[in-house]
Amino acid sequence: MVTARADRQPWGAIIAFLLPAFTVYTGLTAYPVLRTFWNSFHKVLPRSEEFLGLANYTALAQDDIFWRAVLNTFTWACISPLVEVGIALLLALALYARIPGARFFRVAWFTPVLMSYVVVGIVWAWMYNYDWGAVNALLRFLGLGNFVQAWIGDPKIALPSLIFVTSWMWAGFNMVVLLAALHSLPSEVIEAAELDNCGWGAKLWHIIIPLVKPTLLNLLVLSFIGKMKIFDLVWITTQGGPLWSTETVSTYVYKRAFEWTSFDLGYPSTIAAVWFVFVLAAVLTLTWLFRQRDKLEY
Amino acid sequence: MRILKIVFSLLLLAFASSAMAQVKLTFWSHWAAEKIKRDYVEDAIRRFEAANPGVKIEAQWYEKTALYASLKTALRAGTAPDIFYAEPDQFEYMENGLLLDLSPVNWAAVEPWAKEIWSYKGKPYGMPLEAATVELYYNKKTLADLGVKVPSNLQLDAAGMTDLVKRARAKNITPMSIGVGDRPYPGAYLAHEALLKKLGVKEYDDLLKGKLSWSDTRVTDTLNVVRGWTAAGLLPTTFTTLKLGESHLYFHTNPGAATMLIGSWYPSRAFNPVDQGGQPKDFPLGIMKFPSIPGAVCNECRTLSVGGSYVANAATKHPKEAIAFLNSFANPAAAARWLENVLVQTGIKADYSKVGGPHAGYFKELGATSEGAKFYFGQPIQVMQGKPKEVFTQVFNNAFPAGTISVEDAVKQMNAAYK
Repeated sequence: MVTARADRQPWGAIIAFLLPAFTVYTGLTAYPVLRTFWNSFHKVLPRSEEFLGLANYTALAQDDIFWRAVLNTFTWACISPLVEVGIALLLALALYARIPGARFFRVAWFTPVLMSYVVVGIVWAWMYNYDWGAVNALLRFLGLGNFVQAWIGDPKIALPSLIFVTSWMWAGFNMVVLLAALHSLPSEVIEAAELDNCGWGAKLWHIIIPLVKPTLLNLLVLSFIGKMKIFDLVWITTQGGPLWSTETVSTYVYKRAFEWTSFDLGYPSTIAAVWFVFVLAAVLTLTWLFRQRDKLEY
Repeated sequence: MRILKIVFSLLLLAFASSAMAQVKLTFWSHWAAEKIKRDYVEDAIRRFEAANPGVKIEAQWYEKTALYASLKTALRAGTAPDIFYAEPDQFEYMENGLLLDLSPVNWAAVEPWAKEIWSYKGKPYGMPLEAATVELYYNKKTLADLGVKVPSNLQLDAAGMTDLVKRARAKNITPMSIGVGDRPYPGAYLAHEALLKKLGVKEYDDLLKGKLSWSDTRVTDTLNVVRGWTAAGLLPTTFTTLKLGESHLYFHTNPGAATMLIGSWYPSRAFNPVDQGGQPKDFPLGIMKFPSIPGAVCNECRTLSVGGSYVANAATKHPKEAIAFLNSFANPAAAARWLENVLVQTGIKADYSKVGGPHAGYFKELGATSEGAKFYFGQPIQVMQGKPKEVFTQVFNNAFPAGTISVEDAVKQMNAAYK
């Protein structure tokens, strides 16, 4: 017989287990997000708060620097994942095929991700230096002096130059994840393909890529989210310049909050709120697009 | 129980008396990397503490960008220090009532223009320690080698400047060292000093405040003169990424440039020991005026701005002591010490002719460039606010001198920024 006491929910234990996580989530995630949305409708000064309605949103819609930053960030978030995951797949396949020196290359290719964006930024600012940077030095050495550029000083090529840096930095991380996915592929499927005289290219296209597709898509989404928030590298190398060519939404929020001669946190909050919705919508769309329609069975 | 009460009372008394005896003022300042200025301020702190035994000043040193970000957060959170470094373009401090009114300071010892720059709604808020003109420093030996003779009035004309650039480039020497990698203003010196000369103080002020169109032919003509210099190769190829400290080394050490256009606070870095980034001991430093501009109404006009200053937090618990400390700078002796040690002009009244020491000759040369000058007070980024300031920085500090934007586009961007 079940007693009434045993039937009751153990509320004490439930609360004890949930409370710490709930407190941390509420205090450090939910409240800041809600507060940002609240601020976006106000002018927020150190000693006063004034309700503005949609004025900040109207101003933002007409803010050409913001739209430039949106374009740059979106370009970055769309191009960089494709480049870095594409390179990562090639590197992972090279290691999977056990090329000579695979151990060394695995460490070498993974190393950039161990460095912070600050270090990477400083290193690449040197590499891109017009006079003595490694990139231009190499071009001059190869007799390609005509291609020497002010890589992060020219508005036309500053953004691609920085996109290249993030791709270089993150390809190794993606490579390691993909390598793990490749190693976990069912050997019987690969062997069956080999018994059917399936060539390397066909095996890659028809067997390997479909099997690692979920990993590839996850990496693309993660990379997309990361690039939508990119800040550190830009701040260290170009601070959004020249001529806003590398301005991202994050650097613009920072500038408006800390560098413009204003204490108002309302407008930067509006940018952050709009961007939060934008990123969320983009991630939901990507997740919907990439959802696994057919369950793989092997 | 009674014994406990007595012990507790004694402890409370001891704590209270020690708290009364020692007032601790917190102090945040820029100039972490500028030893000469830091030494001067630390000496001022020691002198103040010696004269006021009950007061202790706890200083923290930062680089400017980090300081500004920390201060914005701290002021919003109500945890800002009692006294801190500020520059007069930071209107937002005054607009939001975050600074202590410094009316009790001995303003008779301060230059009236410096007080005016720091005044808001009739009250002064900052102690204008550092003042600076925009100076065209040059390497006397390099210019002599190039066959460029500085005129007796110390001012080349625009064509003379172009000639200097061409001669230097012909010998593979960078004509002028400026770097904008970490500062929003050095690149803009070129355009704003030229525009100030062309338009004169009043109309230049109108231009910066959006009352005069940037499409005015005098403006475009002047920008074309500057474009002529930059197109001829005036600046380092690394101009856009070269940092301020690096641009000093670029000028005096490696690879060396013929000239350097920079604030007159150049010595605060350059007169450091060589191993701390200073110029070589025997470096033949010369100073000349910014070139004259064709058809200018005021070729003697130049920018004089107040730079590093100290302000007091309106929320300080020790306003009397904070004001007393700031007041300790407002006297001729403190100003003379600043001049002799820091070798930069000051907003405190001082007799420049009495500056002695090993760099007395430098001050004589510096004074010569300002003889007969008319001053415009403040750099454009100290006068402009909001979007015009942002656009001016992006366009005239960086893109325009780098040659990545045309005169027409620069003008269009500036006109749009004021709408």
